[in-house]
Amino acid sequence: MALLHGLLRPIELWNDWVLGLGRWIAVICIALMVVCILLQVFFRYVLNNALPWPDEAARFLMLWMTGLIAPLAYRRGGFVSIDLALRLIPERLAALISLVLLVIAGFVLYWGIGIGYSEVTGFGGRFDTASLYVPLSLDFTEWYRVPRSWMFSSLFVGVILLFVVNLELILRSVITMLGEASRLRPIMGDDVVVE
Amino acid sequence: MLIWFLPVFLFFLLVGLPVFFGLLAAPGLLIWLDPETSTRDITLLYRNVYNGMDSFPLMAIPFFMLAGELMNRGGITERLVEFSQALMGHFRGGLAHVNILSSMLFAGLSGSAVADTSALGSMLIPAMERQGYSRRFAAAVTAASSVIGPIIPPSGIMIIYAYVMGESVAALFLAGIVPGVMVGVGLMLVVRLMANRYDLPKAERIVHKNQSISGKEYWFSFVLLRLNLGWLLFALFRGVTGIAGETVAEDGAVIGPAPFTIWVTFGVCVLAVHVLLMGLRRSVDHDFRIVTKRAVVPLQTPILILGGILIGVFTPTEAATIAVAYALVVGFFVLGSMKLADMPDVLSRSAMTSAVVLLLVGAAVAFKVVVSLSMAPQILADFILTLSENPLILLFLINILLFIVGMFLDAGPAIIILGPILAPIFTDLGVHPVHFAIIMSVNLTVGLATPPMGLVLFVASSVSGERVETIAKAILPFLAVEILVIFLITYFPAFSMTIPRLTGFVQ
Repeated sequence: MALLHGLLRPIELWNDWVLGLGRWIAVICIALMVVCILLQVFFRYVLNNALPWPDEAARFLMLWMTGLIAPLAYRRGGFVSIDLALRLIPERLAALISLVLLVIAGFVLYWGIGIGYSEVTGFGGRFDTASLYVPLSLDFTEWYRVPRSWMFSSLFVGVILLFVVNLELILRSVITMLGEASRLRPIMGDDVVVE
Repeated sequence: MLIWFLPVFLFFLLVGLPVFFGLLAAPGLLIWLDPETSTRDITLLYRNVYNGMDSFPLMAIPFFMLAGELMNRGGITERLVEFSQALMGHFRGGLAHVNILSSMLFAGLSGSAVADTSALGSMLIPAMERQGYSRRFAAAVTAASSVIGPIIPPSGIMIIYAYVMGESVAALFLAGIVPGVMVGVGLMLVVRLMANRYDLPKAERIVHKNQSISGKEYWFSFVLLRLNLGWLLFALFRGVTGIAGETVAEDGAVIGPAPFTIWVTFGVCVLAVHVLLMGLRRSVDHDFRIVTKRAVVPLQTPILILGGILIGVFTPTEAATIAVAYALVVGFFVLGSMKLADMPDVLSRSAMTSAVVLLLVGAAVAFKVVVSLSMAPQILADFILTLSENPLILLFLINILLFIVGMFLDAGPAIIILGPILAPIFTDLGVHPVHFAIIMSVNLTVGLATPPMGLVLFVASSVSGERVETIAKAILPFLAVEILVIFLITYFPAFSMTIPRLTGFVQ
């Protein structure tokens, strides 16, 4: 049991810190998305001069927002599922089935990490984005065209973070099954409601 | 072999696997086991998740959620309720009517049944109890009316449906208006009948007498109201008289009016509206005027969104961004009800909820590809056609199926799962895709208020402190009306299709 708690603790700490940081970056991403599209509207309709980059920049930000904050939603139990069957069967059996479901989710994520890595480092990732550049010098004279791999990385990072959250949930589930649920620290925050 | 993904997926779903993982695990497992497919096909599944999320139209989801969240923080719920009460409070069963009308107005801002139940329920359920309504009745009215939220535009589930199925968001938004109003009016009729039978009380039309309004808000509302009504008069005038409208020259070229003519005509219309409003001013009392004025600012949001989309100025995504900008300006500068310190929480709630939806949509796009590859719609269509070839009977069966699914699953995920499977079947049978989208959306949305798993029942229960089972019983008369509306919009497409047809969004 001590081993399980010992394994859980660093994963909990990692998730606390990394997902907390991810949340803040996601907050900045969604705010910047709004700015991008407002600029697009302003330039197109008011100045009659459509900018090429806001559309792609906003999608870039949306993908990173999703990758960084979805794991936090998963950790807080915000992924939609039908839990009626689990509520109707005996508690021990329900805990066992929950564990099996987490393992299935783990397989999906493990498979996602493998493919995600090959996508980011593969052929498609070497192409450049259509309109995104970052400055390489402070006087804005040198620009670097953003490769598509930077966009692909959003889902890859998201899947890695989800995998670590899944590991934490598996360990918690095992500890609960062994009757030590009372020693677990609560992680549920606000319920995330999806429609 | 791939056709087995559907039963495997259903099994995963029923034992409780999150929908996101189920959408990927079931096809992934079968692709992996099938000797005829390769790992490259699994890679395609991953790529489709990514491509499904990488979309400009889909960005409307986080923006609409953000706009709703900002408006909610800005204290608009109270304004809408007071406005509804000023209009309908004096009827028998006044507060129940107010509850329903507030839901209809709220629907134009948020598009979420849950937000509607929690915001309106926490305010109106205690107020109704104080007036002598039973708590279960108050909770049931709140839950039943909140399903209007995702039917009247803007609507999160319609954006999802339009994206996954390749339909026009604007057409779906417009098609939802009449069904949403029908549900609202139907619920009001039930309240009217119950009011006579159970002697439900009337309420005061004005709750807070001698309210004041800040100078900034006063002038903001003053100008907005005149501009909106002036524009409406201008459009009518132009349509009827042809003055300041387009003319067709002898060679067939369309000649637009001179800007001067447009501005002068518009100015005259605004002036005419101003004179009319000043005349009406004397016939209403001061409190009623203030309550109405306080409702102008929030009610401008649906006008901005729908107006922008209808005129063709904005895409739905841009309209959603404009709604966010409007909510920010109103919250910070006009009403002064928002502080910078509120922003991180508002942004992170919107980001988190939309991230979950976006992942689901990505998985749904991957799932849809497997659905097409597996020939599932064709096989299911053959099976369904053995039951009956009459589209009306099949639509009835689909109504029942969707209603049952809606009892167990939220509307968004249910649309994501069933849309790609069912829509092609019924489109082939001659049902218009937009009509079918509305049947699905309304059916599944009503499912949000049905036991045993209706999400809004649980929210209403937590807001009111009443047990879910008790609310589930009290909600039955309201559900009956909602089911009647579902049948009406199913068998009379004109209810949903007239507005999109008249505005040219549907051929």
